[in-house]
Amino acid sequence: MAAGSSAAIVNWIEQSILKRIEDDTLTLPALPSVTLRCVEILRSDDFSYKTVAAALEREPAMIARVLRVANSAAFAGTSKLNLQEALTRLGQQNLRSILLEAAAKQAFISKDPKIAALARTTWEHSLAVATLARDLAALTGNDNAEAAYLGGLLHDIGKPVVAMTLLEAERQIVEIRNQKWIDSNAWGEAVNSVHRKVGLAIAEKWKLPAEICRCIRDCSEYDNADRGSIVNTVCLANAVAKINGCAVGPVDVDDQNALIMIGRSLLGISDDVLKKIAAQLPERVAGLFE
Amino acid sequence: MPRILTVDDSRAVRSIVRKQVSEMGFLGVEVAEAEDGQQGLVRLGEMSVDLVLLDVTMPVLDGPGMLAKLRESGYKMPVIMLTSESKTSIISNAMKLGISDYILKPFKAEELRAKIVAALGAKLQMGAAPVAAAPDPTAGIVAPSVLPTAPVAIPVSHAPTSLNVDVMLIDDLENVHRKLRERLPATLVMEGHLDAQAATAACRGKTIKVILIDNELPGVEMKVLTRQLRLLQPGAKLLALALPSTTTDLAKTSKDQGFDDILFKPFGQDAVDDFLIKFFDSQEILACTENLFTVGPFRGKEDRLPTYFERLTTGFKDSLKKAVAACYDDIILDMTNIPMRQERLPRMLLEFTASTKEQGIVMKLVGNADLKKLLSAFSETRTLLIHGTVQDARVARG
Repeated sequence: MAAGSSAAIVNWIEQSILKRIEDDTLTLPALPSVTLRCVEILRSDDFSYKTVAAALEREPAMIARVLRVANSAAFAGTSKLNLQEALTRLGQQNLRSILLEAAAKQAFISKDPKIAALARTTWEHSLAVATLARDLAALTGNDNAEAAYLGGLLHDIGKPVVAMTLLEAERQIVEIRNQKWIDSNAWGEAVNSVHRKVGLAIAEKWKLPAEICRCIRDCSEYDNADRGSIVNTVCLANAVAKINGCAVGPVDVDDQNALIMIGRSLLGISDDVLKKIAAQLPERVAGLFE
Repeated sequence: MPRILTVDDSRAVRSIVRKQVSEMGFLGVEVAEAEDGQQGLVRLGEMSVDLVLLDVTMPVLDGPGMLAKLRESGYKMPVIMLTSESKTSIISNAMKLGISDYILKPFKAEELRAKIVAALGAKLQMGAAPVAAAPDPTAGIVAPSVLPTAPVAIPVSHAPTSLNVDVMLIDDLENVHRKLRERLPATLVMEGHLDAQAATAACRGKTIKVILIDNELPGVEMKVLTRQLRLLQPGAKLLALALPSTTTDLAKTSKDQGFDDILFKPFGQDAVDDFLIKFFDSQEILACTENLFTVGPFRGKEDRLPTYFERLTTGFKDSLKKAVAACYDDIILDMTNIPMRQERLPRMLLEFTASTKEQGIVMKLVGNADLKKLLSAFSETRTLLIHGTVQDARVARG
């Protein structure tokens, strides 16, 4: 590595991560086997909730979560349900979201304080994007609002992995080679330049549907040819979340406002409606990490 | 007399803009045309222009180039980019030069109209006929399947800030909101909206028990609306508010539209009370957990009390059968929430006591001081033992 300038280090990191993705040597978070099994069952044409319940049997924490959500007011939980009743009430799409959300959250947990703070902010940003994307999809008549939620939730899933890799690199350079490390701006630049590719590698490893992979890969620009698509919905939700205070790192306000202006016309949403669904967004997602 | 200048190298787009503006019902609005930025600047020098609709990619001088030059020359009129360009950097730069809005091609007349109204505001005068037929300029969702064509919504506010809403009403007639509010008990939180889009936007972050929707909301594709509401409020019951019909099978139609039930208009107090019993009282009137029977509070209008007591009696008998089948020696009847009605309560309690005796089961009563006072006024019920808490009843010997 050509040590010295910050730009050189950033470039080295980017190349190194891309090479490791290509060689399949980058450590990516694994999907828990039970989640993987359940997602596969849910994807099959002849799935039954009984089979899902059987697969979940050895995951008491997941069972508790499923029961909690199914018995919550949002799902009209007026009487206590057993696991199979809860699965039926939630339905295929909600269930997939709950399982993947729990698995994805694990990727955002770190014991290192530097990474933990970034991962937490990223998770809260992702939750904000997911919530907005689901509402936008429902408001624009898209019948796959749960996919919009998942797309929003996972669009930045590569970030904590890149941050972790950067931390390892920092230790190597600063502690072992005693060289100067990059500043926080360059650090953010490095994360932003490669996190989508890392996210995509995770999505492929987790066998996520194509529309979710598209959200991870393409959600920073709109696709005119597919106006009401999930990826366009997530792209608008991403910009609205950032402008409303749910962002990771510095925000280019002009670019985000341009994205909102374009997105409003693309999806046919008025400014008033956007303001309503984004009201008190930071307060709504704060604390959901715990 | 307001004038709009459309600058676009496509004659078809300029013609569509001219035609759509002429059909929007604005009085005396003129549309001038230019086929590139250079020609657009010439037009600005020749005539007064109140709004520019500007394409991005054009020969000779493109949209951003014309925008920069017109701002340099001191023109301050609003400019709306009307383009098939959606690249963030281009629109971001245009925003820095003061564009007021953006329309992506292909566009709908509703969107163009809403943005012209927003840009020109008070300069516009509305003509009679076309405006009445035109869509709501404040419409949020311009998808034609959802867009209500009703006039601009007048806010109908019934505790709109509550996070737990018992009844949401979507109806474009204000008197329907007023009548329903009058007939619902004050304890129920009601929220009303005059159009579908305001209602769907308001669903965010709330838990709603029942949503009543006028099944003839103008311009609304009911199937799409019910699907959206189900996504936003998966736990809510959706009811169609419908006028009785002799020609249509309303039960079938409303089911096909995605409704769970129907409430017929015009609704009287009886219909509303039946609705309340069906959706609010049925599960709360008597809750049973093992051998503990908990009486729920009465929330309806005063004249529906007999129905409440009848339902409580029926519920008690059914629950007693289950307790007998489960081989309980005793049951606890928690009456802390029961309404104190001397004409009904003692008689009902004597019936309950007799039924439990017949089954060989002991009934332990739980109630407050008011219940004790009421029962002590009658010789038949004076001797009944009332426990202060469920815990006291559990430890008491039968």
